[in-house]
Amino acid sequence: MSRRRSGGRLLALSVVLLAAAAGAESGEGLDDDWGDDWNGGSEALVWTGFLELAGGVRVDGAEPTRATLAELRGRAETEWAADRWTASLKADAFRDEALNATELELRELAVQFPLGSALDVKVGRQVLTWGTGDLLFLNDLFPKDFESFFAGRDDEYLKAPSTAVRVTAYTDLVNIDLVWTPEFAPDTYLDGERFSFWNPAAGAIEVLDPPLSVARPEGLDSGEVALRLFRRVRSTELALYAYHGYFKQPTAVNRRGRATFAPMQSAGLSVRRPFGAGILSAEGSWYESRDDGNGDDPNVPNSQGRWLLGYERELIPNLTGAVQYYGEHLHNRAALRAELPDPSRAPDRWRSLLTLRLSYRALRDNLTLGLFTFYSPSDDDYHLRPTASYRFSDAWQLSGGANLFGGSRSHTQFGQLEDNNNVYLRLRHYY
Amino acid sequence: MKRPVRLCLFAIILLSPHGVRAEALGDPEEIVARANRAAYYAGVDGRSEARMVISDSQGRQQVRQFTVLRRTVSEPGYPVSAGGGDQEFLVVFSRPSDVRGTVYLVEKHVRGDDDRWLYLPGLDLVKRISAGDKRTSFVGSHYFYEDVSGRLPSADRHELVDTTEQHYVLRHVPLEPNSVEFAEYTTWIDRETFLPMRIEYRNNAGEAYRRVDAQAVETIQGHPTVTRTLVSDLAGGGATEMRFRNIGYDLGIPEEVFSERSLRAPPRQWLE
Repeated sequence: MSRRRSGGRLLALSVVLLAAAAGAESGEGLDDDWGDDWNGGSEALVWTGFLELAGGVRVDGAEPTRATLAELRGRAETEWAADRWTASLKADAFRDEALNATELELRELAVQFPLGSALDVKVGRQVLTWGTGDLLFLNDLFPKDFESFFAGRDDEYLKAPSTAVRVTAYTDLVNIDLVWTPEFAPDTYLDGERFSFWNPAAGAIEVLDPPLSVARPEGLDSGEVALRLFRRVRSTELALYAYHGYFKQPTAVNRRGRATFAPMQSAGLSVRRPFGAGILSAEGSWYESRDDGNGDDPNVPNSQGRWLLGYERELIPNLTGAVQYYGEHLHNRAALRAELPDPSRAPDRWRSLLTLRLSYRALRDNLTLGLFTFYSPSDDDYHLRPTASYRFSDAWQLSGGANLFGGSRSHTQFGQLEDNNNVYLRLRHYY
Repeated sequence: MKRPVRLCLFAIILLSPHGVRAEALGDPEEIVARANRAAYYAGVDGRSEARMVISDSQGRQQVRQFTVLRRTVSEPGYPVSAGGGDQEFLVVFSRPSDVRGTVYLVEKHVRGDDDRWLYLPGLDLVKRISAGDKRTSFVGSHYFYEDVSGRLPSADRHELVDTTEQHYVLRHVPLEPNSVEFAEYTTWIDRETFLPMRIEYRNNAGEAYRRVDAQAVETIQGHPTVTRTLVSDLAGGGATEMRFRNIGYDLGIPEEVFSERSLRAPPRQWLE
């Protein structure tokens, strides 16, 4: 009851805010207003951002929540530049009715500056991305927010921010990216508050109550270091990667029986280049589970190899198609299986995933229709993401979509999410 | 051949003394080569701020604002002064707020496909764009991606159909009709500046459905430069007007500016 009441309040508040925002943007002349974005220089801060009202519901069932998304979000961003220094801020404040929480999320609060002629440094809160996968990540071990991804927030929110130091060196031989995250930044994993999933302890899909409690790495050694060496040879982009930190999901169990993040280091490589009329990419990575040398500890994830092959091209004008094959290979499944309480639910030695992306742009890009599908032949499960977005003007944008999950077994990656099918709608006003 | 990013207009072309019209040229290939140089190769490099006002058939308007940097790559056998060689473009968006910070990087290759990247700041994502989809809307406008960096003269067969007091009128037929949406297009090229003043695209039925008009020309550092252009959708209605300002040539923009580094750290000293 109280949730319903507060939902009404949220709606009323949203209408007021959106109306105010609409009023604020009127009166902008189109003829001679260049905005003077570059000329204003250091004196005048340009503030931009948006207000967004988003709602999503579970298609069937009401556990753990009927609403998978119910929020009003405001974004403010600005940049301040002086000499060769740039300070940037990108902050979200949102009221989340699904979880009855009000939150402030700093997506960026960073200072960027060059050191000498060949080094760029960026210090602070920032979103970090590298690698060649499309919604699949091998060597990109920066934090992801899967809860946002499954709830239908904008794709931007799949990438969670890190508080880190990024140093990039540009040389004739190779460019070097080094990212140090002093305090481990895990993925925003599913904890049972918004989505139900497989609980191995219960042997069933469950709503976790209380939500999953996870032990985080602590101490001086709890940070992460990620390294990328990259260069381009004509049209071919080559990169080598290394990482020292932890698995980003709490897939291990510590001595006290709590979920935690197992220490991990990885090395990998990627290639991306034009091929025919499209773009071909390939990436590989080896995840070394540092506490699981023999692969026989059921409380620690196995070491694994990951492979990706992708191809994207325009099929007809305005329609782009992309396919990816992704494979995951457990280092020592036999040893792991032997130690599991229920060996029949051991992960497969080979897990494979096929993805398909179709995106269609019409009405000069004002209408975008998309479909992204994950299908795993080995797990026989899927995740379908149809999306549609319409841009009414520079200020107003309406987006909608669905997240549909399923599979023949209840413990696989997407099969376990089958009670979380949802549809959502987001109305955004940019200012 | 008239393109939106008209940083370049005419460079090294030796015009006859002021007011005296040169003898008319008769070779369409030469006219097209000169027009290409005039429209895309003015100076070794250049910069311009651009502002597009996009109007749909019902008169609703959207705005895009960006700065373009352009540099011609010197290579043996293709001296910059000859024009027509490989080029690099960096396009940094400042408005509206949902595309602010987006950067588009193009390496235009005269022989072979262009390399193109798009940087999306919200995701910190460097997205590679395939060479195929060139004749689709450039950031929601009536311009195409191909208009930004220019269509290669070698992609079409050219025919001089008329020489008027003011213009060379040429007809262009694509060598690969399946790769483009038009059956042919006609250009009106100014006899003095070699700037294409009008381009009209026709479909298989022979109907003109898209037109680009140069509406204002200024001479900047000796280079006649189109400073206002309009592309009209004659079939569906709607148009995009693009204006340029703060245009400069031969600025000495270094090669490194046109690299992945500029996607994450836009080179402010060259953009302002």
